[in-house]
Amino acid sequence: MADFTLTAEPFLGRFEQHYDDVKLREIYDVAVVSAAIPLRKLTAAKKAVSAAFGVDLPEVGMSALSKESDMRMLRLGTDQAFVVFPRAQQDTGAEPHIANLLDGAFYTTDQSDVWVTLEISGTGARRALERICPLNIAPDAFSIGAVARTSMEHLGTVIIRTGEDSFLLMSASSSAHSFSHAIETSIANTA
Amino acid sequence: MSQQTHRISGGLIDRSSTLGFTFNGKPMQGHPGDTLASALLANGQRLVGRGFKYHRPRGIFTAGSEEPNALVQLRSGPHQEPNTRATVTELFDGLTATSQNHRGPLEFDFMAVTDLLSPFLSAGFYYKTFMWPKAFWEKIYEPIIRSSAGLGSLSIQEDPDTYDKGFLHCDLLVIGAGPAGLAAALTAARSGAQVILADEDYHAGGRLNAETYDIDGVSGSDWAAQTLAELSAMDNVRVMVRTTVYGAYDHGVYGALERCTDHLASSDGKPRQVLWRIYSKRALLTAGATERPIAFGNNDRPGIILAGAVRTYVNRYGVTPGKQVAIFTNNDDGWRTATDLAAKGVDISAVIDARDIEPPASVAGAAVYMGSSVVDTAGRKGLNSITLTSGERLETDCLAVSGGWSPNVHLTCHQRGKPQWRDDINAFVPGGTLPAGMRVAGAANGALSLGAALRDGTDCALSLLADVGIKGKASKAPAASDEAHASSAYWYVPESRARAWLDMQNDVTVKDIKQSYKEGFRSVEHLKRYTTLGMATDQGKTSNIPALAIMAECTGKTIPETGTTIFRPPYTPIPMGALAGRARGKDFRPYRLTPSHKWAEDNGATFVETGNWLRAQWFARPGEQGWRDSVDREVEMTRASVGICDVTTLGKIDIQGKDAAEFLNHVYTNAFLKLPVGKVRYGLMLREDGIAYDDSTTARLGENHFVMTTTTANAVLVFRRLEFARQCLWPGLDVHLISTTDGWAQFAVAGPNSRNLLSKIVDAPFDLSNEAFPFMACSELTICGGTPARLFRISFSGEMAYEIAVPARFGNAMMGVLMEAGKEYDAVPYGTEALGVMRIEKGHAAGNELNGQTTALNLGLGGFVSKKKDCIGKTLSQRPELNRDDAIRLVGFKPVNHSQPLLAGSHFITKGETANMANDQGWMTSVAYSPTFGHSIGLGFIKRGHERKGEIIRVVNPARNIEVEAEIVSPHFYDPEGGLQRG
Repeated sequence: MADFTLTAEPFLGRFEQHYDDVKLREIYDVAVVSAAIPLRKLTAAKKAVSAAFGVDLPEVGMSALSKESDMRMLRLGTDQAFVVFPRAQQDTGAEPHIANLLDGAFYTTDQSDVWVTLEISGTGARRALERICPLNIAPDAFSIGAVARTSMEHLGTVIIRTGEDSFLLMSASSSAHSFSHAIETSIANTA
Repeated sequence: MSQQTHRISGGLIDRSSTLGFTFNGKPMQGHPGDTLASALLANGQRLVGRGFKYHRPRGIFTAGSEEPNALVQLRSGPHQEPNTRATVTELFDGLTATSQNHRGPLEFDFMAVTDLLSPFLSAGFYYKTFMWPKAFWEKIYEPIIRSSAGLGSLSIQEDPDTYDKGFLHCDLLVIGAGPAGLAAALTAARSGAQVILADEDYHAGGRLNAETYDIDGVSGSDWAAQTLAELSAMDNVRVMVRTTVYGAYDHGVYGALERCTDHLASSDGKPRQVLWRIYSKRALLTAGATERPIAFGNNDRPGIILAGAVRTYVNRYGVTPGKQVAIFTNNDDGWRTATDLAAKGVDISAVIDARDIEPPASVAGAAVYMGSSVVDTAGRKGLNSITLTSGERLETDCLAVSGGWSPNVHLTCHQRGKPQWRDDINAFVPGGTLPAGMRVAGAANGALSLGAALRDGTDCALSLLADVGIKGKASKAPAASDEAHASSAYWYVPESRARAWLDMQNDVTVKDIKQSYKEGFRSVEHLKRYTTLGMATDQGKTSNIPALAIMAECTGKTIPETGTTIFRPPYTPIPMGALAGRARGKDFRPYRLTPSHKWAEDNGATFVETGNWLRAQWFARPGEQGWRDSVDREVEMTRASVGICDVTTLGKIDIQGKDAAEFLNHVYTNAFLKLPVGKVRYGLMLREDGIAYDDSTTARLGENHFVMTTTTANAVLVFRRLEFARQCLWPGLDVHLISTTDGWAQFAVAGPNSRNLLSKIVDAPFDLSNEAFPFMACSELTICGGTPARLFRISFSGEMAYEIAVPARFGNAMMGVLMEAGKEYDAVPYGTEALGVMRIEKGHAAGNELNGQTTALNLGLGGFVSKKKDCIGKTLSQRPELNRDDAIRLVGFKPVNHSQPLLAGSHFITKGETANMANDQGWMTSVAYSPTFGHSIGLGFIKRGHERKGEIIRVVNPARNIEVEAEIVSPHFYDPEGGLQRG
């Protein structure tokens, strides 16, 4: 019988750092569930998204906030999306929760612990990202809600523009320290 | 303190402030806005270095990045940087510069003796001399040549500066902020395009800062400043000074180096330089033109300077390079130097024009010699006189030379564009296929007058904007004069008897070109390589055209018939530090940590890099004398009771879909279609060519849901190949993949007490009994009061074992819990070394065996290639050569003398045969000291190995001169029947 308990630890220890015009912090309470669209079932998938989140399935390269603004769906590919949402402190059932919401219209996989998520924000955010992000994230080229997969310092990264000057950066959790170091270096080098 | 004896009025320098610097330890002064070169000239310092081959005195030859002579070492200690061009080095307070390439003082270089040996050091001398005696080459000649070659020296200390890189995007990249570039950038910017304007100078404006022309009624330099101010204030424009666009690459990508702090005494912790990758929709090259010299006898003395550069020093820096200047030209532009100098009150002794025409201008006080040339010069450490073709000798301390201007076509050649000759300007202009999206304007395109450059820049910008769908705002090009620039095809002075230099950086003379022709070299590419013309860091910017012209004369062909060499990146040298960027030391590459890394750190782990992962290699305990003690203990305690190892690094791929089982059935050699839910199966994957590339286990968690594990090394490769198969081979299958490697912290719990340990943490009512959860079972469950987990009954060690996975955020805590729960069983953490020992004892293949050369048959897994179905690689695995009777087979080896260690990499030779390649029977892939058996054991491939068990074979390692005898045995040393792992 179990006499032991397990305590979750954020990959970067709830890292948060403020610079002059940039803020960088770990979003540690985020749940991520991938949702793959079954072959030739796009229509059903769209219906399920609409029913679950009250919004349309976003186009590839875009994200959409659910009607209650508590979940964000990222369309990463023609047949793949992520659902990103706050994870309740004790909730360990992100994948069943989304599978249930989407009523089995997607193949779902828990990705919460695959990714470390950083939020970079502030008027200096783009200037810092210029040193590490190969994509054009100028305001008119990468609109609010846009999402893209790219590589930063050799690390696969998903970048999402969440506000005027704020971005979510998701990268592999095992290399979280290298990733945050790379972002911090970019900020320091451009401060 | 030296005096600024050559400073004159005017210029774009800030005379309100004085900067102190030293040259060879001598204190000097300059002003903000000076380059090191202009400040040296202001202080009367003409001698600044020594030539590469002959160690002849050399001075400042140009005023830009084309400089071949004035290469100096900057700064000191670990910051020391050799081969820096003084002509582009921005002066700062406290700058220290030293001359290079001399032994003894600069003024009395002992190596100048090589000048006396010049008859023996002509073109290609190193192909002809030092040939005899042969034995001298490596021991005597080569060391001497190596110590003599090169210019500056490295500090041999780690570079304390930091470097960075970055990415920029634009509609239009304008390369060069001279008149054409500024006009183009202004047109594009006012039209709303995203514009990047890059210039290598710190004071953008190009020749406008060096000339006295007017634009729209204001001086050219003022117009440049106004235009830059307007551009800098616009949100859609990025003006990048001190930035050299050094290379043109595919898809409109350009490389650029921004020198951020080179003009400061200290970088103050910021990156010294940034290497930019610029993604452009279109690019306009407005890099201007480079003046070329005329070759004549002893034309390399300090004080002999290109005429346009003399104008630059006078007009931009307020410095006259000489007190009594003579001008030698073959074109109208050279006369401009005379008029500009005269306007500044500089004494001009003579203007010598090789053309026999009416003088294009009158210069007060100067003797004019039309149809004449300079044949020789005098002055060992600096020019003091010149001799004309007539034999007349003129006193002068500065000779301004102009042989015409060559468009800077370099970047147009970076994708094999071949410049084309234009007779009207006696120069090559961009030609052939330019990099996609690039156009060229201004002097770089042969528009050599100011008015033409401005019009060309404006027009090209509008045209390029139209290409990308931006409506250009019609604007009139700024108005300026179309000054005369007629030139003649006069490249060298044939009457000169003394050596006449073409390539001053590599010391190539007119004679060298002629000699290479005599020796049979006809192609310009051969000429270049034989003479080393244009192969120095300046890429022959000032020397290539005159040399080609001389080659053409030798061959009796025209210059276009002779052709030209082309240029390659970088346009100017890029420091290695900038190319490395951040990728140094611990930042050389990212590293990955296992979820229990912190626990391992706290518990004495030694780590090893496996790919990007840092894995615990072993956990040392007090009293242990070395790694073997730790590893032996970890193996023994695991086999005796229970051991725990973080195996998160194994790749994990979540596979879902209606056709997932069929998909796996195609990618694995063995059957997966009917794998029951709740079961794990070992599988082998082949490449298309039939070679085995990864083995793994796959668990079926649901009817349409599988989880594949891969080896750590091949996690990415397997995923990539599976995606290829899914998307390209079988797009009709409903199957989806996603990596979950990082999502689950996975631990091997191995040993006879593994079940007892796990029973303490799994939540009821999960039944761990052998009946309920047998070998190769899998399940999703919860542990420790509700934490989701996955449990696999698989074994790599050969013991009864499990792999248990929890979400990665619980991984560090999980290691602690497992150890706590295992305390009563003396649970031991084990690292990769013990893991390796146990897998060799068990006979499992790993990376050493799956080395990209071996087949299922070689591995003893021939039976895993199903005869009932197809799979990737099956057809080609049936090639006869891969199925020879004498194919190598994986077997085990143990030394006949148990005290002798086996060595991986050793080769097998049959007893009585000579140890050579012809008798090679195979090789040892993996060895370990087995604490279980008390001696060294090994795995290896040997011909017909499966039929040779019991045979004694020689294990030969010629590299280490070691040979032992070993017995061929089963690869499964430990529990060959598998009873233990089945529990």
